[in-house]
Amino acid sequence: MDLLTAIVVLPLAGFLVNGLFGARLGRGFVSAVGCGLPILAFAAAIRCFLSLTGGDGAPLVSSAYTWGTVGGQAFGIAFWFDRLSAVMTLIITGVGSLIHVYSTGYMKDDPGYARYFAYLNLFLFFMLMLVLGRSLLVCFVGWEGVGLASYLLIGFWFEDPEKARAGKKAFITNRVGDAGFLLGMFLLYHALGTLEFDGVQAAFANGVPAALSADLVGILLFIGATGKSAQIPLHVWLPDAMAGPTPVSALIHAATMVTAGVYLVARLNGIYSHAPVASEIIAIIGVATALFAATIAVTQTDIKKVLAWSTISQLGYMFLALGVGAYGAAVFHLYTHAFFKACLFLGAGSVIHALSGEQDIRRMGGLARRIPVTFATFAVATAAIAGIPPLAGFFSKDEILWFAFASEHGGSPLLWAVGAATALLTAFYMFRLLWLTFLSPSRMDEKTAHHVHESPPAMTGVLIVLAALSAVGGFVALPHFLSPLLPAATVAEGLESYETPLLVVSVVIAVTGLVAAALLYGQGPARADRLAARVPRLHRLLFSRYYVDELYDRVITRPIQWLSDAVFLRLGDRFAIDGTLHGLAALARGAAGQLSRVQGGGVQRYVLLAALGVLIGVVWVWRHV
Amino acid sequence: MDRTQFLLGLSVALFCLGLAGVIVRRNALVLLMCMELMVNAAVLTLVTVAARNHDTAGAAYVFLIFVVAAAEIAIAIPIVLLLARQRRTLDVGAYTGLGG
Amino acid sequence: MTETLLLYLFSAGAVAGALVMLVARHPMRVALGLIGTMLSLASLYALLGVHVIAVFQVLIYVGAVMVFMVFVIMLLDTRDPSFVARYSRLLVPGALAAALLAAALGALLVRYGLRGPRVPGSADFHLQPFSAAFLERYWLHFELTSVLLVIAVVAAIAVVRGRGGRDG
Repeated sequence: MDLLTAIVVLPLAGFLVNGLFGARLGRGFVSAVGCGLPILAFAAAIRCFLSLTGGDGAPLVSSAYTWGTVGGQAFGIAFWFDRLSAVMTLIITGVGSLIHVYSTGYMKDDPGYARYFAYLNLFLFFMLMLVLGRSLLVCFVGWEGVGLASYLLIGFWFEDPEKARAGKKAFITNRVGDAGFLLGMFLLYHALGTLEFDGVQAAFANGVPAALSADLVGILLFIGATGKSAQIPLHVWLPDAMAGPTPVSALIHAATMVTAGVYLVARLNGIYSHAPVASEIIAIIGVATALFAATIAVTQTDIKKVLAWSTISQLGYMFLALGVGAYGAAVFHLYTHAFFKACLFLGAGSVIHALSGEQDIRRMGGLARRIPVTFATFAVATAAIAGIPPLAGFFSKDEILWFAFASEHGGSPLLWAVGAATALLTAFYMFRLLWLTFLSPSRMDEKTAHHVHESPPAMTGVLIVLAALSAVGGFVALPHFLSPLLPAATVAEGLESYETPLLVVSVVIAVTGLVAAALLYGQGPARADRLAARVPRLHRLLFSRYYVDELYDRVITRPIQWLSDAVFLRLGDRFAIDGTLHGLAALARGAAGQLSRVQGGGVQRYVLLAALGVLIGVVWVWRHV
Repeated sequence: MDRTQFLLGLSVALFCLGLAGVIVRRNALVLLMCMELMVNAAVLTLVTVAARNHDTAGAAYVFLIFVVAAAEIAIAIPIVLLLARQRRTLDVGAYTGLGG
Repeated sequence: MTETLLLYLFSAGAVAGALVMLVARHPMRVALGLIGTMLSLASLYALLGVHVIAVFQVLIYVGAVMVFMVFVIMLLDTRDPSFVARYSRLLVPGALAAALLAAALGALLVRYGLRGPRVPGSADFHLQPFSAAFLERYWLHFELTSVLLVIAVVAAIAVVRGRGGRDG
């Protein structure tokens, strides 16, 4: 087995070992296998990366085995390691390993320790399959698999029905998106006869192939992406997914799984560069989601929910970039986002750990001195996401906003304006979070305040690493590195001069957000609450997430439940199927009842029947002999 | 009409009358007697054919049938008596022990 | 000619006796009907020339079997529900079945029945030749029937005695 396949298989081995034997072999063993194998996978990824960049730049390919042959066309499990998948793999294995190490501290006292690591490794396996797959088919296997792992991990504490329900919601919402993915795949295969990425890319190298509508395929595949990456209208599962353990939220719902949609569109850039309508839709939905989520994040009071809506918003930015043809910029933001969002989530986990389970920021405050490492790393990551230079987020976000304005492939000032407004809100609500959690006076109750303690080194060490990456990660020129694969979007004529002014505006926005948050929340939530009391309806609208969940419930869930109950259960199952069976049984019983009267017990009846038998015998003999 | 044919027809008639009697009458003893009638009808057939064919076997068979009929009635009547004593009636409608 | 007349006469007698059996209410009358039928049959046997059997019919069947029957009828109470209601519930179906059977057998008879005299054998049905032939060829059957009669006697006693009187 070559190194490339090993990257994918190592986490699978971890899943099997921990899943089957972990419970019996103790915490130390589980931690060693559960963290060690992803770290080995990371090392293997680095090795492959070096051979990729050291050589002539040709992608590494490895065929694992042939899955099946249908009518002459062979479908195989094959892996493909080019620059894009290299970046994704390094992020997944790198950040993944860090989060695994963090989990050894966070999940220390949980009885399901072995099961947790097994599921986490399973997730890594599927995610790697997703990004390393050579064809859409293998990618889809990984796509579904990460959905499964997500469901298992969101509902990890499944004894709580709310948490189990959250897992179900995530899975089902994803499935809705997957319908679009499948349809897109079918159309693509039907027109091109291949599902392999290099084949698809080659087919689109010289314009749209015949018999295929790139826009349609693009939109269908994007529907799949909206499901997985929580864009409007399929974003509803992500905030609920915070029911899972915090490291899971960091890994799956911030750094890796939710970026699968971004990866998919970037990988299929050949299609999207020839699908102007699809691209426009992507850009509009992306930026709308970004703004929508940011407005909601401003009012949320659960620390993890704020970060969840923030993730949705940042994913919106990535799709905005994809929509205007800046594929490299989108991946760059994906990369920086992985660092600072993971750091933020893990920091939140550290806070929750320190406060023995408290997640409501209205009951926090004053933690800066008491858990300094957590505070420092959280602050760095917050600054990064807000776009304060020279941290990583500044570079990637600014690049996106620039292309949103200036790209020839659909950029417009309107997109930029919405994006900039969102950036302002992002800075605002993130610093709001920072102030309310750490820097404002304490609003904790006595007992919790007494127990506040810094997290163990397994957790704080990881926080420090991620914060450092958030700080300096932006200096890696990722779009340039990816440009042979993902050509940079061309800038429209005459707009080059706007680049520097817009850069300045970005910085101003970030700082404004910081200042506004400090002013409003410096002393706690009181001032902001008074402000909210003046616009109660608006506040309620935002706090209730625009009532989208309620809308879906009313329009989709309840009618389907009614259909299931009244039509399928009552009519179909009970009346038709059970009724038929009961009817048949009643028929048999009735017939038997009637037939049993033959043996009534009267001798004369028997004689009569015998006589009839003889009569029939006589007639028969007469006719046939 | 040919004598043999006629007597065979008579035998059929007596047999069916006996059968009807077994089915329609209620008294157990009457039932027995109707069964005897049926046996007699069968014997008539035997005798008719034996006479036609000048065959001793038929007549010998009839003789043996008489013996068997006597033995049979010797047992059947005690059985009916016991049954009547137990059920306190000769009405065969009351004898329902053979039911399924 | 007389022979044919006698034939019809005794046949009618047999049928009449059978009808009485079906219709009479009192079992004694039924018994008498059966006796009548049996005597008619005996006459028919005699008419056919099988006098031995005719005599045995009267001796054994009428003389022993029916007498036994008559004794039993005398012993049992006539005030029985079966006296009031002569016919069972299966009157119509029974009559119908019997009629159909008669029709079927009759039709068979008309189609395939034996016709005309056939004189292959030379059996003599007078007493002496018949007895000689009987005991010469069917002695084993004869002996076995005597065994059967013993069994019948034992069985009759066993049936009547029933549970009580094991030691008697």
